[in-house]
Amino acid sequence: MSELSCRLRAPLAHFELDVKLSVPPGITVLLGPNGAGKSSLLRLLAGLHRPATGRISLGERTLYDAESGSDLPPEQRQIGMMFQQLALFPHLDVSANIGFGLKLRGMRRAERQQRIAGLLERFGIVHLAARSIARLSGGEQQKVALARTLATDPQLLLLDEPTAALDPSARGEIRLWLRTVLTELQIPSLLVTHDVEEVAYFRKMVAVMEQGQIVQHGSFHQLLRAPASEFIARFVGVNYIPGEVSHVEGKRLFRSKGGLSFLAPFEQVAPGPACLTVYPWDIALYRELPEGSPRNHLHGEILDVVLLGDRVRMTLAREDKLVAELSSRGYEALGEPQPGEFLWAVFKARESRIENFQE
Amino acid sequence: MKRPRPFTLLLLGCGALLGGLILLPLLALLLKSSPSGLLQLLGSAEVRLALWITLLSSLCALPLIFLLGLPAAYGLARCRGKLRRSLEIVLELPMVMPPVVAGLALLLAFGRRGLVGELLDNFGLRLPFTLSAVVLAILFVVTPYFVRRTTLLFDGIERKYEEAAMLLGASPWQSFWHVTLPLVRRGLFAEAIMALAQGIGLFGVVIIFAGNLPGRTQTLSLAIYSAFESDPQLAFGLGSLLLLISLLLLAAVRLLGPGEERA
Repeated sequence: MSELSCRLRAPLAHFELDVKLSVPPGITVLLGPNGAGKSSLLRLLAGLHRPATGRISLGERTLYDAESGSDLPPEQRQIGMMFQQLALFPHLDVSANIGFGLKLRGMRRAERQQRIAGLLERFGIVHLAARSIARLSGGEQQKVALARTLATDPQLLLLDEPTAALDPSARGEIRLWLRTVLTELQIPSLLVTHDVEEVAYFRKMVAVMEQGQIVQHGSFHQLLRAPASEFIARFVGVNYIPGEVSHVEGKRLFRSKGGLSFLAPFEQVAPGPACLTVYPWDIALYRELPEGSPRNHLHGEILDVVLLGDRVRMTLAREDKLVAELSSRGYEALGEPQPGEFLWAVFKARESRIENFQE
Repeated sequence: MKRPRPFTLLLLGCGALLGGLILLPLLALLLKSSPSGLLQLLGSAEVRLALWITLLSSLCALPLIFLLGLPAAYGLARCRGKLRRSLEIVLELPMVMPPVVAGLALLLAFGRRGLVGELLDNFGLRLPFTLSAVVLAILFVVTPYFVRRTTLLFDGIERKYEEAAMLLGASPWQSFWHVTLPLVRRGLFAEAIMALAQGIGLFGVVIIFAGNLPGRTQTLSLAIYSAFESDPQLAFGLGSLLLLISLLLLAAVRLLGPGEERA
C-alpha cells in the first residue's frame, strides 16, 4: 500500500507554504478557505511547481528530495490530477481523451480500445464515446476527466475542487458518484475543497489548511469535537469562544473575551488562554431564565433565524455570539421568536469542551 | 428611423475613404489586365521563369521559417517578464529595418567579403546572387513576423492543457506534439500562407542581396521593376499576375484558416 508523505516549504505570494502531511490510501479531504494555498500544494505534489525545500515520497518512491537533489518530472510521478477546470483536450473526442495516456505509453490499439471501453462502462458513459468535448455537460466532463486520469493507473490522485464548477443540481449527483468511485480505489486521494458541506459529505479524513499550513488533521468527527481554530469551528458550525482560564478563590473559571464567565470541564486545562467550544444542538433556549440554574447562560439578542428543514438555527449575540439549533417544534413552542427579540441561551458545563491554545 | 449621430458619421466617412484608398488602386490594376492578356504573359518563357523562381524561393523558405520560427515562438510564449521583452526587441529589429538596408546588411554578413562570407567561401558556398540568397532574404525578413504572430497563437493556449498532458505521462516534447500543436493547427496554417504571401512580394532586400538576374534570382517583383523601365504594359500585366496570386493566398487563409468554429 502506498502512502504519500511530504514535508514542503515554498514561498507563495502572501505567505510561505509550510506543510507536513501524510495521506494514507483512501480519501483525505483538504479543507481550507480560498487562498490558503491548497491548489499550490497540489501543484507542488504533482511537480508542476518546485518547492524551496523538503521531500515528497509516495510509497517506496521518492518524488522530490531537496537534499539529494532528486526531482522527478510530472510525467514520471505517476500522479493523477483532476484540475479545477478539468482541461479536457478540445481537439480529441471522449474516447481519445481517455486513451491519451495509454497511447503515450505505447499500448496497442486493440488493448487500448478495450481499456477505454471498460472505463466508459464503469462510469456509465458508453454513449458518450465518440462525442466531442464541447458537447458534454458539466457532470459528463467530470466523469470523462476522472476516467482519463484513472486510465493511467496513478499511484496518487489529486482532485482540485472537483464539484465547484458544477451547478447545484448536478453537484449532488456527481458527489455521490465521486464518493462511490473514490471509495473503491486503493490509492491515496487528496480532494481539495473550500466547501464544508463537501467534507461532511465525504466524512473521511480531513486536513485543514490555513495560510499555507496544515492546522488540523484528523477524522471529520475529531474536527467536530475539537476544532483547532476559530476558522475550523465556524466552518463546521461549532460555537467557538476564545477567552482565558483563571484561578479565582481556588476554583477555575473561564472568562470569555466578551467578558462572560462560563463553567466547563476544567480537568485538562491550565490557567491561560483557552477556548470553549459547544455544539449548537447542545444549547437550549428560553424566554425566561430557568430557576436555580447552575448552568452557563447568555442573554442575547436574536440576530438571525435560519430554517433548515425541520431544524431552526438561531444566532444570538450580546457579549459573545452563540449559534443554537433546535427542532422546529421547539421553535414553535418558544412562540417563533424573531430577530431583535431577546432569549436566554443555556448549556451545561459538561456539554462544552475547553482547551488551551497558543496565540 | 433614428438619425445617425455625428460621431458615427465621422467613423463611416473615414472608413469609406480608407476603403476607397485600398480598393481603387487594386481595381485600376485589375482593369488594366484581361484573362487573355494574363494567358499571353504566361506564354512567355521569361515570365514563367520569374513566376517559378518567385514560388520556388517562397516555398523553400517556408520549411526553414517553420524550423526556426516555431520553436522560437513557442519558447517566447513560455517566457515572461524582462527576458521576453528583450527577445521581442531582437525580433523587432528586422521589422523596423528598411528592406534595402536589410539587403545591404545581409550582403555585409554573407557576401563574399562579408563577416562569414569568406568562411562560407572556403566550403565552396557562395550565397549572393543565387536562389539561396533569395531564400535567405525571405527568411531574414519574414521569420520575425511569423514568430511574432505565432507567439500570440501559443499565448492563447492555456497552460493547463500541457500540464494535464504531462500528468498523464507526456514528456514536454510529447505534450507539445500531441496537445499544443494540434490546438494551434488552424492558426499555423494561416500563418504559413501569410508567410508565403509576404515572401512572394519582397523587393528591396532581394534586389540588393540576391541581385536582379533573370532566370536565376529574378522574382516577379524584380521583373516588374525591370519591365517598368522598358515596357510599362508588361509591368502592369505582371503586377496584376502577382496581385492575383496574393488574392488567392488571402482567400485560402480566409477559407481554411481559423474561423468562427474555434471557441
